[in-house]
Amino acid sequence: MAARELMPGQRRFTVGSVTADLLLLLWFVFALFPIAWMFLLSLKTTAEQTTTYFAFTPTLENFATVLTQRGEDLTGVDFLAALGTSVVNCAGAVLVSLLIGIPAAYAAGRWKFRGSEDLMFTLLSFRFAPELMVIVPLFVIYTQVGLFDTKLGMVWVLQLVTMPLVVWILRSYFQDLPADLEQAALVDGYTRVRAFLSVALPLVRPGIAAAALLSFIFAWNNYIFPLILSDANATTMTVAVTRYLGGGGQAYYNLTAAAALLGALPPLVLALTIQRYLVRGLSFGAVKA
Amino acid sequence: MATVELKDLTTRYGDVTALDSVSLSVGEGEFFVVLGPSGAGKTTMLKSVAGLVDTAAGDVLIGGTPMTGVEPYHRDVAMAFESYALYPQRTVFDNLASPLRSGRTGTYSADEQRQRIEAVTTTLGIAHLLRRFPRELSNGQRQRVALGRVLVRPADVYLLDEPLSHLDAKLRAAMRAELKQLGEVSNTTSLYVTHDYQEALALGDRVAVLRAGRLVQVGTPQEVWHTPVDTFVARALGQPEVNLLDAEVADGRLVAAGGALSLPAPAHLDLPGGRARLGVRPRDLRAGPPSGADDLAVRGRVTLAERLGRVTEIAVDVAGTELIAVTDSDVRAREGDVVDLHLPLGDVHVFAAPAHGEPADADTPRLGSAHPRAAATTDARTGA
Repeated sequence: MAARELMPGQRRFTVGSVTADLLLLLWFVFALFPIAWMFLLSLKTTAEQTTTYFAFTPTLENFATVLTQRGEDLTGVDFLAALGTSVVNCAGAVLVSLLIGIPAAYAAGRWKFRGSEDLMFTLLSFRFAPELMVIVPLFVIYTQVGLFDTKLGMVWVLQLVTMPLVVWILRSYFQDLPADLEQAALVDGYTRVRAFLSVALPLVRPGIAAAALLSFIFAWNNYIFPLILSDANATTMTVAVTRYLGGGGQAYYNLTAAAALLGALPPLVLALTIQRYLVRGLSFGAVKA
Repeated sequence: MATVELKDLTTRYGDVTALDSVSLSVGEGEFFVVLGPSGAGKTTMLKSVAGLVDTAAGDVLIGGTPMTGVEPYHRDVAMAFESYALYPQRTVFDNLASPLRSGRTGTYSADEQRQRIEAVTTTLGIAHLLRRFPRELSNGQRQRVALGRVLVRPADVYLLDEPLSHLDAKLRAAMRAELKQLGEVSNTTSLYVTHDYQEALALGDRVAVLRAGRLVQVGTPQEVWHTPVDTFVARALGQPEVNLLDAEVADGRLVAAGGALSLPAPAHLDLPGGRARLGVRPRDLRAGPPSGADDLAVRGRVTLAERLGRVTEIAVDVAGTELIAVTDSDVRAREGDVVDLHLPLGDVHVFAAPAHGEPADADTPRLGSAHPRAAATTDARTGA
């Protein structure tokens, strides 16, 4: 719990502050309970998986099953392949979004042109419109043009998730950047493209890192697109996890829990790796405060 | 080096007109100062010349060539931004090398780059900062780096946007003295923007006064100082500001301050409605009784005396009207003292009175000096 900043004469603990902290604690327990439960479940044997008491003999067997051929033999789910597909899909989606989204964000942040706000709003609407709204027409189109169950198709459709994030996050970074910097580059004799590449772009690196990470996580967590638009070839981690629950046969809740935990690792590792790029304040000293 | 010409230049930001049909021409090698309060359009004027803002109408000519539609990197201008605009991710050295490496300001080997940068940083006193990043510099140092990025390269035109505004008073005075002597500056057509009238008068070959996007007056420092075209220019130049007194013609005399101040009505000037405004610069007022017939005398009570070292600034109450005067500090004026002040009639500026319905502080044109002969000689001397 972070220490509050106290005003003169203010006391550290008051009835209000203690109550607020207790409520937060309650929420904390409530919110984290599913994860704790999932963790415990992943350590239980199949025989014990439906028990509700906390005393049991923990085992790492579930993780081993999920990660080896044994899992596929048992349930028909190739989890590692699905994990690989997820990595390819999400990395591809983020890469395409950055390549197209960075120049788009720069244009939208620097210049007001006819329809620029409408364009930005349309992009934003991809984020708040439910995916289910477009999934049926997408399914029809994908099956007709042959994108169904392909990684290319997944990368394409994930643009709906990643592109708005990239453009909206980076636009605000570009807007924060003083236009004088690129103008200085122009009078120094550089073209607009070189001014963008050598002056503006390096200064929004923290923004690029943030946008990439965030859109990767959103793409990674996406469930509905791979569920409907892919089958055996492009099945992702999110879909694979649920398939341990079986279709009428034995439901392996413990394997689901173990797979879900494993599936949560890559974004976590990615976040830890690039967090040092997330620092802001690189533009300190560019212009007077 | 080249001439710069603005022809009916108009620049708008949305509905706001930043520059309104400005026309002027700057000669080859001239040091041209643009003076005006903030928001007058000074920076917009520089950016229009550099091609960094879109102009709505009119044209900018550099060396006689129309520049509309010409990209900034093809204009061969250098600019020091008021915000410095130093590249934060590069060291001072790399900031200064930037224009030399673009390939559009000439071709420089690594050695030539280093020599140029060393020369300019030595002049500006920042040679010891080359390895630092902009964030590690004080505002004054950043400003000198920004100036250095201009001086390090040859250009047709230097555009300097308040390049001394963030230096402390001492350094600013020193830099002001040095700036004009710099070979680069004296050899290059320069447009220099400032809101400081002293800088404008000290540096400018000519001075343009800008107000709300319109040119009010263009002239040599002597011209704008001695024959300001209106009360706006008179007020813009001088600290403390010029005293402005409402006056009326009565019995052949021009009377102000309820009769406490009067002078022969200037017959050579046409005063509409028999009303006028008198402009008296605080520095022109001298303590003591009048020394001749051509002097205007006034007596009042000191309400405030500020001793500022070499001079004393006094506020004098003249029959209810306040007059500011700057006297030598050996004039021992104290609060409550009655003082006599005088100045030559030739130094009294006569402005038109605000028309009926205009606010009392509306700017009005200058009609002339209160002294018929002095006015004639002054105007002849400056050629206004």
